[in-house]
Amino acid sequence: MPVITISRQTGSFGDEIAQSLSEKLGFELMTRERILTDFFHNAATKNDLYMLKVSAKYYNNKSITGITFLEHLKQSLVKYSSEKSVIMVGFGSSLIFSGMRDAIHIRLIADKDIRVDRIRKRFRVTLPEALEIVELSDRKHKKFVSTVFGVNLADDNLYDIIINTSRMDPIEGAAAIYSLFNERLRMLSLERSAEPNGTLITQEKPAPLKNASEAEFAKILDMYQIEWKYEPRTFPIEWDAEGNISLAFTPDFYLTNFNTYIELTTMNQKYITKKNKKMKKLKELYPGINIKIVNKKDFNNLIQRFKISKGEE
Amino acid sequence: MEQPAVKKILYTNDQIQARVSELGRQISSDYEGKELILVSVLKGSLYFIADLSRAITTPIKIDMISIGVYSTTDQTGIVKISKDLDLDIKDKHVLIIEDTIRTGLTIGYLVQNLQTRQPKSVKVCSLLVNPMQQLIELPIAYTGFITSAEQVAGYGADIKDKWRNLPFIAEI
Repeated sequence: MPVITISRQTGSFGDEIAQSLSEKLGFELMTRERILTDFFHNAATKNDLYMLKVSAKYYNNKSITGITFLEHLKQSLVKYSSEKSVIMVGFGSSLIFSGMRDAIHIRLIADKDIRVDRIRKRFRVTLPEALEIVELSDRKHKKFVSTVFGVNLADDNLYDIIINTSRMDPIEGAAAIYSLFNERLRMLSLERSAEPNGTLITQEKPAPLKNASEAEFAKILDMYQIEWKYEPRTFPIEWDAEGNISLAFTPDFYLTNFNTYIELTTMNQKYITKKNKKMKKLKELYPGINIKIVNKKDFNNLIQRFKISKGEE
Repeated sequence: MEQPAVKKILYTNDQIQARVSELGRQISSDYEGKELILVSVLKGSLYFIADLSRAITTPIKIDMISIGVYSTTDQTGIVKISKDLDLDIKDKHVLIIEDTIRTGLTIGYLVQNLQTRQPKSVKVCSLLVNPMQQLIELPIAYTGFITSAEQVAGYGADIKDKWRNLPFIAEI
């Protein structure tokens, strides 16, 4: 099930945005308190629970189940999220759900002066007190993630998107994440409907066969009960200086059980030369891809042979 | 009497026998201690399996299968097995014996079909393989000769069901 993890600087509206998203998406909001109450009951004694509340180092100790508290927590949360969509705030959650295709990882930051001012207003404290709260909190967050997971909380690579909320309210922040989340869901759905995976573009709906040769070829594949897909993949083969795809190649057929792409080239020679160049590039760029080209002569032989031999090769 | 228009003799009987003996040794070694069923694809592989099976020194079983094309109501056809195996291949090692693989469609169909019967393994042995014409990636474990000839006959291979009984393989 989908998971959203939110790492936030104190005063960056992390809790407000998480709450707003939880209401908008209907996802369960997983808080630190909930984790400590509900996810350690089989693995931790009373004393363990107290230590887990106060000591980051304690997460790397072995629990009574024989694995570390951290590993126990990871396994429990991953299992839980396989049945229920959750939003998890803090706790190094981007690392707990790291590598999960269904998870998106958000980092919320804001200008320090703005965060201090927000904390001042929220807790009705003086400016120096608010500054102390923010700085202490930043240090503690950093230390927790560094001690438990051995990584730097501020490492950009841990997150899919980093949002600066200095000039946003929580509703705008939640809307930005909501939009990313919906797009990710759409892409995952497309990826799952196509195979095999890779760096290729997938299409939403199968394209219709373009000409009589393709229809004839499809008929032959059907006769042999060879499962096929029509133009399921596009292979980018040239990019411009900015990295945009400038040339791509879409083989006509993919034989799913034989991991083979087929390109029919039954048109005239000038197009065949162009197509052969594309094929050459494709083979260079994607050496693991099996692709066969069927030219006009091969195609005619195939049709003829089929008629003559009635199925025997 | 009608004679085949032989363009070139590709493989003489001696060359064929020598290669078949090599394949037999290789298969005997690879399948030693395993239960192997040779599946001959009719009719092209008749001579090949007769010689190959005698060149294999480990115990084997032999079965035959034949593929036919049947018309459907929409004027197209469907490829079906016209003579099925008599042996149960579940949990057995299967080696399909073919005379020639061109596009690979027939063998592709057979491999798919036999795999549904849960054998321990399905591999392919073909006397001739034409990679230029091959359309699909197949588990061809044993190849007698690689050829680029488009039309061949002899030693089981036919053209319009003729010339199977030529003692050599020729381009026609």
